[in-house]
Amino acid sequence: MIAYKFLRSDGTGAFTRFAWPLPNGGPGAWVDAPADPCRSGIHACRLADLPYWAGRVLYEIELAGDIVALGTKVVAPRGRLVRRVAAWDDAFRATYTRHCADRAHELARESGLERWEEVIEPSIPEGPALLGFVAARIAEQAGGVEAYYAERSRQAEWLAAQLGLV
Amino acid sequence: MAEHVSCQEVVELVTDYLDRALSGEQASLFEQHVNFCDGCDFYLEQMRSTIASVGRITERDVPLETRDKLLAAFRDWRRS
Repeated sequence: MIAYKFLRSDGTGAFTRFAWPLPNGGPGAWVDAPADPCRSGIHACRLADLPYWAGRVLYEIELAGDIVALGTKVVAPRGRLVRRVAAWDDAFRATYTRHCADRAHELARESGLERWEEVIEPSIPEGPALLGFVAARIAEQAGGVEAYYAERSRQAEWLAAQLGLV
Repeated sequence: MAEHVSCQEVVELVTDYLDRALSGEQASLFEQHVNFCDGCDFYLEQMRSTIASVGRITERDVPLETRDKLLAAFRDWRRS
């Protein structure tokens, strides 16, 4: 299975600080770890999960073995980084952040939730993961839990289209 | 409401998270919050650093006077 993985700028895992073998003219080395969701294993995103985990750098990852699918991630016992998604760079992060901020303003205005307006612009320096969350929370406040997940899906579709991921 | 973790809950759950005592779903929500919240990310790093440092200190490394003060402070902790 091909999935996606966000890492820190130095190529380490966002939460584990594991130093991933990076692709270098070919895929990185395989990494093995027993799949135990949120404790052990290779954690990765499907396209629909990207907005929840937006980070500094994005890689395509090949997963192998028995893959466990969870709400916002997949976990496998084996994985290797195939390539860096070059289109996900600082400029694109800023563009996506702005996209989410504009959408958050739109949702707040449409729903009469003007108090959110004070939150949106000051949140921009914290980046795309927060702005995506803010937009989804405004949608949720206006339309309930289904609207939250619909907004997340909308973000994922936008990301996939802009990054050329299928 | 969709499930979310607040900054206050991150503070309350951080030791359980580091001890891997949270359920998979709780840990996922915790990490989602830390992923977008610079303040909580920093707090988590501070906790990791503190645990790494304190974990190297043995009882013998603590001067007697300091040890007695700490014991007294924790003895009265629940009463204050």
